[in-house]
Amino acid sequence: MKPWIRYAVCAALGLALGAGAAIQHVRTGVFGASRAIGPWTTGSDFGTARAGAFTRAVVSLRGLLALPAHEARYYNAAVDSAGDPLDGRCRYRVSGGAIPAKWWSLTLYDHPGYLVANQANRFSIASAAVPNPAAWDVIVAPAEQAGLWLPTGRIDRFELTLRVYLPDDGGLGTLTRDRLPAIVKEGC
Amino acid sequence: MRRWLFPLLLGLVLAFVGYHVALAQFPRVLMSLATHRIAKGAGYNAMFAAPLATDKARAIVRPSPDLAYSSCPFDLSKGPVLVDVEPVPAPYWSLSVFDSRTDVAYVRNNIDAGNQPIRIAIAQAGQPVPDGMTAVRVTGTTGIALLRILAPDRTQFGAIDAARKKSSCKALS
Repeated sequence: MKPWIRYAVCAALGLALGAGAAIQHVRTGVFGASRAIGPWTTGSDFGTARAGAFTRAVVSLRGLLALPAHEARYYNAAVDSAGDPLDGRCRYRVSGGAIPAKWWSLTLYDHPGYLVANQANRFSIASAAVPNPAAWDVIVAPAEQAGLWLPTGRIDRFELTLRVYLPDDGGLGTLTRDRLPAIVKEGC
Repeated sequence: MRRWLFPLLLGLVLAFVGYHVALAQFPRVLMSLATHRIAKGAGYNAMFAAPLATDKARAIVRPSPDLAYSSCPFDLSKGPVLVDVEPVPAPYWSLSVFDSRTDVAYVRNNIDAGNQPIRIAIAQAGQPVPDGMTAVRVTGTTGIALLRILAPDRTQFGAIDAARKKSSCKALS
């Protein structure tokens, strides 16, 4: 084999392997995974020039057009408070208290980040629907529930995104674990 | 085997380079695809009022079902683009401008604006903008201006939908 062929083969393989590794790394990345708080993950540099290359790439795949922290904070959960993956065939109680912001909403997505078909055509619960903002429960389950129900559509794995718009601290801080909702599995 | 030593070293170096180049290009490629996909609605430099997101929505990943989105995929290759947002009877609305790298070049909500109209000119460095307009400078020629409107009750979306369609986006030239 001629020397230039060896160089060309190794160069092409190297570039392909590097690019493939980057794509795989981003595809397995979690939206807002720069900081974990209980079952929730978040990041504070979305949409800013401060965002690193990896964060920027994951956000473009999982949450394109995300706003900067002073306008909205995004908290994402792919697991419950016990650390187990969220399963669309199970019933969960999401319990929260006052969230210091103008408004918030809790939305259910599939892993690629799309809304999930369900018989109620309900995709989120927003703060305006909560009778007592200081202490609230949302039941996430495949079948209809009394109270605030967020349907799972019986998909295998789902994610919850809590959007917190116009946070009282201007996005400078992050909600602490006791400020973020707990996600407790009640049965399958 | 020694004949492969330097080619393999070259491959390792290029794998490192390939990883970082791919990572850097990822947002640009996805943003370009999203801009193109949205432009299928009303074209470039025009405001497209998308319906409230459902499980059928695929234009943008992780859409909020609580928000009505009107978007303007812009192309500055022929000059600045003017965005004019009229107030909407909703508890929250905002205008944000994303450049080709997904960075937010501008964001202003109804509270910042005192529920008054927002008028901006999106332009690249060096492109003149009309007097009296807020210039929003972006890198790259394309991007998306996005109007988000909180629609707390889907049954009363009609009034919001009618009001948001008064907002516009158009090329200056």
